[in-house]
Amino acid sequence: MAADRGSKVADVLIVGAGASGLVAAKHLTENGFNVVCLEQGQRVDSSEFWGDKPEFELMTQKRWHPNPNVRDLESDYPIDTSESDVPILMYSAVGGSTILYGAHWQRLMPSDFRARTLDGVAEDWPFAYEDLEPFYDEMDVEVGVSGLGGDPAYPPGKAPPLPPLPIGRIGMKAAEGMNKLGWHWWPGPNSINSLPYRGRNPCGLLATCRNGCTEGAKASFDLTHLPAALQHGLRLVTGARVREIAVNEQGLASGAIYVDRNGRERRQLARVVIVCCNGVGTPRLLLASKSAKFPEGLANSSGLVGKNLMLHPYVTVVGHFDEPLESWLGPNGQSIQSMQFYETDARRGFARGAKWHVLPSGGPLGAPPTPGLAFDEQWGLAFHRNREKTFGRSFEWGIMVDDLPDEANRVVLHPTLTDSDGVPAPKIIYNYSENTRRLAAFHLERAKEAMYASGAVALTVRPLMVDRSQHNTGASLMATGHLMGTCRMGGDPKTSVVNQWGQAHDVPNLFVYDGSVFVTSSGFNPAGTICAVALRSVKHLIAERRNQKVAA
Amino acid sequence: MNRASDLEIRAAFLAIADVLIPEADGAPSASGAEAGATFERILTLRPDLQEAFRRGVQAVAHKEPAAAARALNVEDPEALAAIGLVAAAAYYMNPRVRELIGYPGQEKRAFDPTATPEYVANGMLQAVVDRGPIYRATPK
Repeated sequence: MAADRGSKVADVLIVGAGASGLVAAKHLTENGFNVVCLEQGQRVDSSEFWGDKPEFELMTQKRWHPNPNVRDLESDYPIDTSESDVPILMYSAVGGSTILYGAHWQRLMPSDFRARTLDGVAEDWPFAYEDLEPFYDEMDVEVGVSGLGGDPAYPPGKAPPLPPLPIGRIGMKAAEGMNKLGWHWWPGPNSINSLPYRGRNPCGLLATCRNGCTEGAKASFDLTHLPAALQHGLRLVTGARVREIAVNEQGLASGAIYVDRNGRERRQLARVVIVCCNGVGTPRLLLASKSAKFPEGLANSSGLVGKNLMLHPYVTVVGHFDEPLESWLGPNGQSIQSMQFYETDARRGFARGAKWHVLPSGGPLGAPPTPGLAFDEQWGLAFHRNREKTFGRSFEWGIMVDDLPDEANRVVLHPTLTDSDGVPAPKIIYNYSENTRRLAAFHLERAKEAMYASGAVALTVRPLMVDRSQHNTGASLMATGHLMGTCRMGGDPKTSVVNQWGQAHDVPNLFVYDGSVFVTSSGFNPAGTICAVALRSVKHLIAERRNQKVAA
Repeated sequence: MNRASDLEIRAAFLAIADVLIPEADGAPSASGAEAGATFERILTLRPDLQEAFRRGVQAVAHKEPAAAARALNVEDPEALAAIGLVAAAAYYMNPRVRELIGYPGQEKRAFDPTATPEYVANGMLQAVVDRGPIYRATPK
């Protein structure tokens, strides 16, 4: 093994420079901690993105595709999804999946934290909405959220710091329909600044958010949090592929063993270790960190590391209109949202609900051709007819299903598949539940009503789809990249992996801050909650620094 | 690859591309949108398409294009999809086509976020507020 880099023992080692890792890095370094962050990917410059070039749509289908099995970059690890109903989406780089996320900056609703108490399903979170609210408020300011206060889907609270982005003609059209039906809608909050903010340009409405923001307006965390962390002394090591969290004789985490880009194995020592590798990468790493003291993987006495994987099943209704809507314009991002059918109504035959959001329909190229589809459905005159029907005059109601936890849905280590450094790859075992199927079917019917109320002349409905192919690029790519629940938090070490502060029950100086800790998925895009929970956890760690047990 | 085979590939590609994207209702065909000048650059940007593209083009070369395209869609659908994607990408990157369909590309659009949104000014959002809260509070 190569000599330790700098041979220093870090106060805190963070594995993963995505959203939660960089929230932790910023706050720890600003409070005087000596922090090292190991990231398997590299830094991304916005000049690498294609959003402002004619080749944009072509390049989103490969180099900037959200499915790592499609991108197939060296920094990506392969994921076996042959037993998963949906593909897994993520991005490996400094900034993590916020490089490609849609930046819907959502809060969970109060009932999300009390699903067991209110609806008799899943488990309650170890804290309530009101406990997290101040951290939501603080994160809104740190990332620069654009939106409008007063949404009646939430208790009264602070408004976002920036005015809302335009909802566009598509949002107005959708809102008209919702008002005809008397249904809830609200301008969607986005972590995309509508005004110049903390050195970032304002949004240019290019709608390329989910393939890299060329304007630097979207709050990817390499822009929002990394600079301050570096300024305060963060040592960021890119291309560092961690294969194991090391433990000492006392059963404490002592650092990490990683492979650098020269293929050399290195060890980074630390007093405290925080794992922030997302809901697939974190259980993968913990399960791979087996030792005599932890033969089933690190922090896994409950047997729950990797289990209760939640992925946000996603269905859509696309409405086609007989008038131009400029539906290639951003943000993308979201225009408006609705929580009309979010809360449980037992008469519907399922628990929980879904958030809806209006998205633009993009440019004319769209998804790649579907191999084997009947010739006359996509080629010849159909090529022109399909474009005339949809391009510029359609939008999507996207429906994000609250995915209930189920131990059978899980991340396991693949017995043979590895990344390019020999670290075992994850295998995903995931099936839609009956609750999900009923929920999705109900919501699709309501979304059809909403579209017709808005004046749609035709619809394209995409129900729950199962696609277990490994390289899903196109029409059936109904996944969100929201990876949650695989190291869930709670008060009981038998039924949870970490406590309410992200601290492993089994290893007191090991923490998890990413979406793995979610108890329920909610029906909301998780980035805002991942960050608020990470902020709450790291502030507690900082406050309790003198009482924190550490590796010698 | 020598120059002659490059020309053959180009000719075979354009023949099939014009079947996939024919001239219609004032819209040009693929070759009319200069796909022949663009496809090599597309294949350079997307090397993952090259194998299926070349396999498909070689399979249809010197055959009657319309019948060959339909046959390829059955016999090697991935090859036809690769040819189709290259043709469609070239088509929609063409400035004349973009102008024709009213697509300026993903260009920046200025807006004034400090102006009162239309949905506030006309009372649309107030109607939502007037319908009252829709959340369940944290149980005591």
